[in-house]
Amino acid sequence: MTETSEGGEAAGRQLRAGLWATVNERYPGSMIDKTDFIPLAPLRKPLSECRLVFISTSGVQPRGTMPFDTVHPVGDYTFRRVPSSSPVEDLEIHQLKYPTVGANRDLNVIFPIERLRELAAEGVIGGLTEHFYSFIGYNMDPERLERTLAEDIAAAVSEEGADIALAAPA
Amino acid sequence: MQRAVERRGIPTVSPSVARDVTEHAKPPRAVFLPFMMGHHFGVPFHRELQRRIILECLDHLVHARESGEIRALPITWAQARKEGVELERLRAEGV
Repeated sequence: MTETSEGGEAAGRQLRAGLWATVNERYPGSMIDKTDFIPLAPLRKPLSECRLVFISTSGVQPRGTMPFDTVHPVGDYTFRRVPSSSPVEDLEIHQLKYPTVGANRDLNVIFPIERLRELAAEGVIGGLTEHFYSFIGYNMDPERLERTLAEDIAAAVSEEGADIALAAPA
Repeated sequence: MQRAVERRGIPTVSPSVARDVTEHAKPPRAVFLPFMMGHHFGVPFHRELQRRIILECLDHLVHARESGEIRALPITWAQARKEGVELERLRAEGV
């Protein structure tokens, strides 16, 4: 009998259990492990006035831009700017480390650019930054990621004038 | 990543399908969904679910009071898939 996700599934239970330990056991030190929480930045205005930036580890990038290096043993610590006005047909995924079965048919399951444009058009949020930001997860050196890529994207996002950020792992 | 952006004064929130990874990474705010990896906003063509997940994230962004707070949504992957299959059937029939 084929196993399905419906077998005893309970709300709130992680579908792929023990992910952190599984990966960290195989590649020690590759998983982020923080011991502290950082202070929350205050929301300074209503959502309807906030410009949102979307940041994604999905490896989504505009066609024609340099593909992410998905086979480098240590990872790719660069990012791509994705115009928030991009038609989904102009975007493609360069990442091998997560199932793209849904995203291949509807990119919004991992990069909800159309839903975000709708929410901005309806005034639920004030608007979108000119660019969204994309990189690939599964980088094996979390300290390097924190020191370089995270700071590079944070600086770019800040320059874009973002008021709030929706960040999505893949 | 989220922590770096938050440190610059920009409030951040993320959906997560791996609660244990999120608990180790300690982002400022997260919304947990028991979904398949790569499907943080649900299933193909299910606009309502995709939208609902974004709105839950935004609501958490507004209402979370403590750093590291994880909101769990009462949705199952089985239910999301079932609804997705039904939507695909209607699409195929041109409804």
